Formats: sequence, structure tokens, C-alpha cells
Amino acid sequence: MAAIRIRDVVKNYGKLEVVHGINLDIAHNEFVVLVGPSGCGKSTTLRMIAGLEDITGGEIFIGDRVVNDLPPRKRDISMVFQNYALYPHMTVRENLGFGLKIAKLAKPVIEERVNEAAAILGIDELMERTPAELSGGQRQRVAMGRAIVRHPQVFLFDEPLSNLDAKLRVQMRTEIKRLHQTVRTTIVYVTHDQVEAMTLADRIVVMKDGYIEQVGSPLEVFEHPVNTFVATFIGSPPMNMIAGRIVKKDGHFHIAFQADQTVPVAADLARTVTEGQEVIFGFRADDLMPDEHAMPIPGASSRLRLKVDIAEPLGTETILFCNFAGKDIQAKMLNPRPVPPGEVMDFSLAIDKAHLFDAASGHNLRN
Amino acid sequence: MTQADVASTANIRPRRRRRRNLTPFLLLSPAILVILFVVLLPLLFSFYTSFTGYRLIKPETLYQWVGFQNYQRIFADKNFWAAFGRTVLFLTIALNLEFLLGLGIALLINRITWGQRALRTMMMFPMMFSPILVGYQFKFIFNDNIGILNNALQALGLSEGAIPWLVDKYLAMFSILFAEIWMSTSVFAILLLAGLFAMPRDPLEAARVDGCNPWQVFRHITLPFLMPFAFIAMTIRSLDVARAYDIVDVMTGGGPAGRTELLWTLIARVGYDNARMGQANAMAYISILLSIAFTYYFFTKLIAARKYMGGAD
Amino acid sequence: MDRVLKKRIGKIVTWFLTFVLMLIISVPGLWVVLTAFRPNREVLAKPAIWIPQDPGWTNFAKIFGFGAEQIAIPVPAYFANSLIIASTSTVIALLIGMSGGYAFARYRFKFKNKIFLGLMLSRTVPGIALSLPIFIIWSRLGLIDAKLGLIIVYVALNVPFTIWLIDGFFRQIPKEMSEAAQVDGCTRWQAFWHIEFPLAKSGIASAGIFAFLTSWNEYALASNLTRSTDSKTLPVGLMDFTAQFTIDWAGMSAMAVIIIIPALILTFLVQKHLIAGLTFGGVKG
Repeated sequence: MAAIRIRDVVKNYGKLEVVHGINLDIAHNEFVVLVGPSGCGKSTTLRMIAGLEDITGGEIFIGDRVVNDLPPRKRDISMVFQNYALYPHMTVRENLGFGLKIAKLAKPVIEERVNEAAAILGIDELMERTPAELSGGQRQRVAMGRAIVRHPQVFLFDEPLSNLDAKLRVQMRTEIKRLHQTVRTTIVYVTHDQVEAMTLADRIVVMKDGYIEQVGSPLEVFEHPVNTFVATFIGSPPMNMIAGRIVKKDGHFHIAFQADQTVPVAADLARTVTEGQEVIFGFRADDLMPDEHAMPIPGASSRLRLKVDIAEPLGTETILFCNFAGKDIQAKMLNPRPVPPGEVMDFSLAIDKAHLFDAASGHNLRN
Repeated sequence: MTQADVASTANIRPRRRRRRNLTPFLLLSPAILVILFVVLLPLLFSFYTSFTGYRLIKPETLYQWVGFQNYQRIFADKNFWAAFGRTVLFLTIALNLEFLLGLGIALLINRITWGQRALRTMMMFPMMFSPILVGYQFKFIFNDNIGILNNALQALGLSEGAIPWLVDKYLAMFSILFAEIWMSTSVFAILLLAGLFAMPRDPLEAARVDGCNPWQVFRHITLPFLMPFAFIAMTIRSLDVARAYDIVDVMTGGGPAGRTELLWTLIARVGYDNARMGQANAMAYISILLSIAFTYYFFTKLIAARKYMGGAD
Repeated sequence: MDRVLKKRIGKIVTWFLTFVLMLIISVPGLWVVLTAFRPNREVLAKPAIWIPQDPGWTNFAKIFGFGAEQIAIPVPAYFANSLIIASTSTVIALLIGMSGGYAFARYRFKFKNKIFLGLMLSRTVPGIALSLPIFIIWSRLGLIDAKLGLIIVYVALNVPFTIWLIDGFFRQIPKEMSEAAQVDGCTRWQAFWHIEFPLAKSGIASAGIFAFLTSWNEYALASNLTRSTDSKTLPVGLMDFTAQFTIDWAGMSAMAVIIIIPALILTFLVQKHLIAGLTFGGVKG
């Protein structure tokens, strides 16, 4: 059993603290993705799990062992690096077998395991080539093969897809997911790409500036972001965010924006807001829909009339860029038709799905 | 976090971290020890000797403290200042000419597409020649009696008598400079050529589109890009400028009558031939400071230049 | 039309200049080589004899002690000394340089830049200036006119530059290689030995060749620290010829050829890596 427990882990580089006492529990066989902008400490955390960086404070458990003092080779892990780190002077076969050779396994065992991994990844044909003779996707497969031959308790992935082109990235993403289903092990995966995080993870860990912002399943993180950072980081296009102030109108709370525009506060939030509170109103493009869809909106809604500045047709949907209360916002139109710039359209905003954040702390007022 | 927590995380694992911090010093220790023993220690010793009246033939003079007398004596010595001035002049001329010629050669070879590799390899040969051989080779060539140069000039009818290449004051200096430049220009040429190869094409093309003429492109784009490479070459060269000692020693021995005496040949003469070690060490110190000044100057230039090349650390 | 002509003239000028350049580089050396194969009387002849009348290996036979004519200069002993001193000091300098270069390439530590600068500055001390105190100390330690004495000095002479080059070669290998190997179950030493060393091998070899040539060619220190056939090296031995009444230009040239040949061969082997090492180590810091 290889659960990972991270307890109050701190990392300093000299005087600079880059990870500030994080806590995280990763269950056995779970696929956890650490996601965040560059410099958020996600790679450092992964490298501390791997033993490639010293842990300044706190403890990391793999299984029930504290691994703080163990070198990487004694942690029973394997890792896929961003640049693959294939050994250029060895063939694919030697690359795959290297770890087993170092572990002094018998030749037939090595042979068997290497072939098994090659079969899983479909690289049987490439075994006698050197890394220089492989394409990006093939290198990626070999790097994964090198990780799985050793039957480790934990797989670590450090931005493995960032060097591939967009098409290959989607393909490899699926393969990694399939791999996790074939070879059931605990996986910790680091990426800055929230789409990768959403598609791959059992649970997502959103990090920023050395802190964990939120941990949850992809849907949880998408639908219930704890703060403005997670709300804007997860999801594409990013959530629309507009600063406003709570006012009382006809006995109900409203959010007042610039130029006297207002939107009613959702019923379930009425108790958490106070009059005069500075807030940030957030809603996804999917929740601002043109009325011409004629689709029913669950719960309360608010009508808006907006001028479309630019329309970006993406095929099945079109992103509409409009201006609302002095802010650029995006809406999604599902029925494809050309939209000339400047066209004025009527929209419905799903109030109950929108979020309200405290302007000072950034916390989601719904949680 | 409570106080106790802080304490426990702080001393969780000092052992392994301490060892890791020591590893680089352990790896470096042989290098540092060798340099200490063979360079630093002798230098400290020679620093001491430069304040004594040490003469090789009288061992007891090693303990004869004379204060700054050696330094006073060499600072008052016309021959020393002549050699010093000649050395600085020699270095300035040699390094500048080597840079200009090296730049020219690099640009020339960069234009050639066919046989470029062979030319580059050939260019490296003088660099690898022993300075003593370079000296010998040009002593032979510039020999007034049987040298190929005078023979050729006479055969072509360009000169009547024998030109005293290694005897005349100016010609001897010229001959030595020629040998020095012959030996070391390739350091510049090769590094600048490497710089030209590494040069990205986009800025060149952008400058051309922006309306620069070839000279402006060279002056404002190519040359600034090449400067770090020139400074590497300068730094490497300043590490062993004193190799010129070998050349002079073979070609003229500092003669005739001290007319080609450089600081280094003077040191050898005073120290070994006249056995006045104390005084020679005082001069040696001045030559060391000169070398360090040259190297340090170019090294800081290199550091500054490579900043905008995106260098690390 | 005008442009085509201009281009053609440019090409001709380029080739002409290149030709002159190569002439200047190669003629002095070739003339020495040519002289090595002709008798001394032909060299001394007036008016000059341009085409060798009587080429042969006699000069080489003479300096190596074969053949009828003998000379008083023990070239074979010098050759052996040079070989022993240069190779031993190279091997030691490489081991020290590898360990030091690896430290600079792979670790962050206090005073890193200062130590690096210090090592480099140690190399700037002019050989002749360094030879004075070493001469005095070595004579007390009995290391004057001993191969060991020169080997120690050459190791120190070569260590800084070897470190510079090897540091550059190790830096070219991504750090991830070593990390991957460590995750794959290697100790740091195994990761070095199985992954980083094989990848840096050719670079290290060229650093070694460079160190060898530095020792092989050195004169200023050797000329003052050696006395006899016990330790005199070829460059020092070359000066033996000038002590004689008439300079034996032909014999000297033959000896020069013996010194040149290893330099030429090794340069040819090393050139590619040397340029890479120097520029990488220098520019990328």
C-alpha cells in the first residue's frame, strides 16, 4: 500500500521560503494532479516527494515510512521528467532495463519486464534505437516505460506533456489515463495546464505561491472554487469577474456595479452578505447565454442587454466578447451563426450558478 | 506552529543536509590543495624573499631582512622600467592586433562554405605549438644569414645585404611580436568564429529589414554579440601571456644588449644568472600583479558581457 | 549583371585572402619540417639552396643515436622524460579536474564564484615568476632535476583550465539525467559513473589532450627546474643545440619535428570539443 502523506512540509532555498508548510493526503492508487502557475511550488513539492530536493521542514510519508532522509533510490518511486531525461548513450531497451540492471535483477527477469512494459506502451518496434532516433511522442512513451518496468509504488510525472505539440498532447493524455487503469499505482502528476488537470485527475490540488489553495475532484474545483484565484485559474475561458458592492433594493440584496447596473444576489447567499460589502461577482461564460437559445435556465436569472465587441467562432460554439459594467466579459453562444461586431443581444445570466467572493479576502461566500 | 514544533522540524535531519553541503568542498579539495601547495605557498614564500637580500649562492642571506630595499632598487632601475614599459607595450600591441586579425580571419572563414572545417582545424595548429618551437621557427626564419626570409628577399632582388631582423632594436621587437601574433591570433579567430556560428539569424535579418547597411549591421548587431567571445579569448590569452618569455628566450634571449628585454626575461636573468633571488622575486611580484590585473579586467568584462547573453548564476 | 560580377569579385578576394592566410600559417612550420630532412651544410649554403638536393632521415637517425654521426644531445632520454612527465601529470590533473569540475557543474555552495576565480587567477602567475620560489623550495625538498618535481608543478598548472573545460562539459548534460538515474535506483556515484561520465567522456578526453600538450610544450618552468637527462624535457633539450659553436639547424629542426608531431595529431583529435568546451563554459557561465 502506498499512500502518501505530506505533513507541514516547508522548503527553503537559502533565506527564500518557497513552500510554506503544506499538508496533503494522497490515497493508495489515487491519481492526484498538482496544478498552478509557474513558481507556485508544485514541481518543488514533487521533487521533494522524489527525494531530489531536501525537505527543509515537516515530513513526507510514502506508505508508512518517513522518507525525508531516504535518497531517491530507496523510496520505491519512479519519475517521468519534463525533458524525458532518456540516457542518450543507451538504446531504448537499455534505457528501460537500466534501473533493473542497477538493482542487480537476473537477466531473464529484466528481459521479461522490459518486454512487458514495451507491450503495454506499444514500443516493441523501437527497442534497438537510441533516443536521438525517436520522435517526441515516442520518447515520451519510452520515458513512461522506464518508469513502469520497475513496478514502483508511486509514479511521479513532472510536466510530462509540455514539450509535445497540441495534438500529441491530447493523445498522450488519454494514454496516461489508460496506463493508470492498466498499472494501478499511486500517481502524482504536476502540470500548469488546467485542462490536463481536469481530464486526468481523481483529485486536483491547486497551488499558488507555495500554498495549497484547494483540493478536490475536478468537478468540485470547477463548480465550487474556494476563492477568486481557483475560480479564474480553473476552467476555460476563465470565469468572468466584476467588482461591485452590495446594496438593498426593494427589500432584496443586489450587487451594484459601475454605471448603476445591478444584478440580484442569489437567494441562498442573502444571509451571508451585508449591505455595503465590497464583493467580486463571478460567473462562467456558460452561464451567460443569449436568449435566442431559448433554453430554460435553472433557478433565478437576470436579463442583460449587451453589445458584442468581438465574436470568436470555435465551431460548435462561439465565444462572445462583450462589455459589462466597464469590464470585458465572455459569453458562450451554442448555435453557430455569424455575429457582426456591434450587434446588441439579449442575454440571461444564471444567478444561482454565479459566485460571490469577498473583495478583501477573495473567499467564496458560498462555502 | 508552536515553539516546540519549530524546534522539532529544525533538527529533524541536520545530518544528511550537512553532508550534502560538504560534498562540493570534498570534491574540490584536491584541486585546492594542489594550488595551495604549488602556487599559493611558493608565492607567499617569494613575497617574503622579496624583502630579503637572498642570493642563491649564499643560503644564509635568506634571513637577511632588507625591508623595501629590493623594491626601492628596482623602482630606481632604468633597465627595469624599460623592460616594464616594453612589456606593457608588447602586450597592448599584441592583444589588440590579435583581436583585430582574429576578427578579420573569423569573418573571412565564416564566408567560406567549402572546406571550412579543414581551415578551422588548420588554424588551431599554431595555438598548439610549443612557444619554444614558435620561437625557434622564427629564429630560423628571421636569421640574417641563412634565414628563409632574407634568402627570399635577396633571391627576389628586393634587398641587397642581410637585414638584421633579430639584431636591430626595432626589427627584433617586430620579429618577436610577429612570432607572438602568429602563435596566438588563432585563439581569437577560433572563438570569434564559434561566436559567429552561434549568432542567431533573426536580429541580423530584422536589422536589414529596418534599413541598416552591411556596416551598420556589423557594428550594431554582430559586434556586440561577438564581444563576450572576444572576452573569453582575452581571458584565456591573459592567462598565459607570459608564454612570450619562451619565444624571447629562444629568439634573442632579451638581447642584443637588452633591447628586447621583457619583464620576464629580466626576472630570469636577475634570479638565475645573477643569483639575486630577492630582487628577482620583487620583480616577479610586479609581473604577477600585471598578469592578474589583465586577467581580472577581462574576466569582469566577460561577466558583464555574458549577462545579456542570458548566462546563469 | 553588376551584382553577379560583384559577388564573383568578392569570392575571389575571399579566396585570395584565405590562401595568403594559410600560407602564413603553414609555411614557417613546413620550412622547419623540410629542413629536418636535409643536411646542415645545405642549410648553411650561400647562396641559398631552395630545393633539397639530398633529402633523407639522417638527422633523425643522428639525434636518436643511430647511424654513423653521433651528437652529444641525448634526445631519446628527453623524449622519454617528456612522455612520462606529460602523461602522468595529465592523468592526475584529469582526476582532480573531473572531481572539481563536477562540483562546479552540479552543486551550489558558498563562495562558488570566488573559488572559481581564485583557481583561474592561480593560472595567471607567469611561469618564470612562479619558478623562482618553486626553485628554492624544490631544491630543499630534493625535487630539483626530478621528474616528480615537474609532474607536481604541471598538475597545478593544468588543474584550473581542466576544471574550466570539464565544468562546461558536465553542464551540457541536463541535470535531469543524473536525477533520472537516481530515481532509477542509482547512488549519486553510480549515476555519475553510468550516465554522466560516459556522456562527458569525449569532452574529458579533449581536456586531457589539452593538458597533455600544455605539459609537453612547457618551457619556462622546466628550463629552470631540470638539470640533466634525469628530467630534462624536449623543449629544454632543444636549447642544448644553441650552446654549441655552430648551430646545428638541421638537427634542431629534426628535434622540432619530434615535438610538433604529437601536437599536430592531438590537436586534430581535440579541436571540435575544445571549441565547444571553451565557449560553453565561458558564455553560459
